[in-house]
Amino acid sequence: MNLREERKVTAMSEWYTMEGKDSDVVLSTKACIVRNIKGYNFMPRLDDKECQSLLETVDGAIDKNVYSGGNAADFDKNTLLRLTRLQILGRDASQLANPDRKAFYYNDDVSLSVAVGSGEHITVKAMAAGHDISVYKKAENVALDLEKKLDIAFSENYGFLTSNVKLAGTGLKVLYTVSLPAISKTEGGITALNQRVKQYEWSMYPFAEGSEISDCDVFIIASVNTQGVTEDEVLKRGEMLIADVIKAERALRDEIAGSKKEQSQDIYGRSYGTLRYANMISRSEALQALGWLRLYREYDDTGDINISWNTINKLTMDILWEPDAPSRRNSQSVASQKFRADGIRKILKGAD
Amino acid sequence: MKCERCGKELTNRIYKINGVTLCENCARVLGYDRFVKDPADLLSNPFSPLDQLASTLMQMNELDFGNSSLTCPKCGMTLREFENEGRVGCIECYNTFNDNIVREMFKQQGNSEYAGRLPAQSADTDCSTKEIPQMIKKEAPKANTIDISEKEPEAPAKEEKAPAAKSDKGGLTVEQLMKADLGMLSDEDLEKGIKAAAEAEEYRLASRLRDELKGRKEGNGNV
Repeated sequence: MNLREERKVTAMSEWYTMEGKDSDVVLSTKACIVRNIKGYNFMPRLDDKECQSLLETVDGAIDKNVYSGGNAADFDKNTLLRLTRLQILGRDASQLANPDRKAFYYNDDVSLSVAVGSGEHITVKAMAAGHDISVYKKAENVALDLEKKLDIAFSENYGFLTSNVKLAGTGLKVLYTVSLPAISKTEGGITALNQRVKQYEWSMYPFAEGSEISDCDVFIIASVNTQGVTEDEVLKRGEMLIADVIKAERALRDEIAGSKKEQSQDIYGRSYGTLRYANMISRSEALQALGWLRLYREYDDTGDINISWNTINKLTMDILWEPDAPSRRNSQSVASQKFRADGIRKILKGAD
Repeated sequence: MKCERCGKELTNRIYKINGVTLCENCARVLGYDRFVKDPADLLSNPFSPLDQLASTLMQMNELDFGNSSLTCPKCGMTLREFENEGRVGCIECYNTFNDNIVREMFKQQGNSEYAGRLPAQSADTDCSTKEIPQMIKKEAPKANTIDISEKEPEAPAKEEKAPAAKSDKGGLTVEQLMKADLGMLSDEDLEKGIKAAAEAEEYRLASRLRDELKGRKEGNGNV
């Protein structure tokens, strides 16, 4: 990575802390479009020589005036951590496996990226804070540019061809990351919401499955169908669904804050105190406290606690992705809990 | 075997719900608590495990030993590898495993007909984000209730697809017929469905509908 690229990485803003619509419920909106190039086997059957040729072919089609980055093997540790925090790389370490066979390109604010060799040949991703479906057009514009420059695998019967047949067709996934403390605390709430999501033929799953925070109130709501639907239908369904989710979550916050005001106010204050002054804190405890801040923030009429949605969202995302903890393998260790608590205290102290 | 939702290795407790294999935690998270039985429940009803086993076996795909050695001539991927991994190795695999890929698409999405945009052509979308008004200080809903599942979502009007895919005779569409529980359809729906499926060249569906109708007629004759 050259000096210009290093400067861009360190100077880039954190897109998820930007002001977003409906950010009391929706943490982020993402659109992912996958494409493959004719003449190359798909990733699982692509040998190293072919893979290098693929990386060079895509590199030649990337507009270097807009995008930084390159082969993942050339990224230093700081770049990897930052790209993880900004959700270009997943927390899942598998994305960093075989870095010689992968490349990542990203724009200045890292809201737009092109990954090469991560599951499919090309994955275009556009991300925005809060509820913002304009991410689709941003991702589509990047995909269109690449489709004009490269010979993309396409069939009239199946649409865009992919290694993972679940993506064949439009190759499009739209994802909303939502925090639903009120629905989660309502008996049968998540079950009812799941049924609603299925009626739209979308899917919903916890943000962090199979981990110590799998019971946290952050969920991903994602499109499923890539066949039999147009891109427009996917987007419209998604917008109707997310509107339902936002309304339901807010209605239940009203209900909880109204019917259990004293208890809610008490837990809200205690949660803030825990985050503000704890010396050690687990991910689960921190996310639970943030859930209460999110649930009751609009109803707190004491004026004692001053915390913005941006701060709540930044803390939530930082803890969910947490790329630079001392030990990602053991986020329950004393060092990790202390590191986390220090980070939270610094942010809240700055927000006071 | 792994949970299809969280990817964790499955232990001795496996839940197969609507064709999806889940671990105990995911079955609970998705609200299928009624399937997640306490050992005490099983002791009180010793036949329930047999019910579960029978139900699971009923949901399994038909065994098809005929094509198990099918191999893609370009990349060398076998049908077995595709079925295990859900991924194909190259474009040619789409020709080699055509039937299996179509079946997989139907299983996942209920459809295998492409309706999206063409390469290098922008999709016709008019979607923009509208902020949802805050509900604070409005009339609160009933305690401990959530109204999100009470009514069917008003799905956006679907664009007309290829004429062969839809019935124009007032019956169900081919897609709907493929997803439908045939036992719930009227004889009239089945008759219209056979014609619609034949027109759409969905002969496997047409024969399923015909068999259902035939079975009913024979069943009635025996009564």
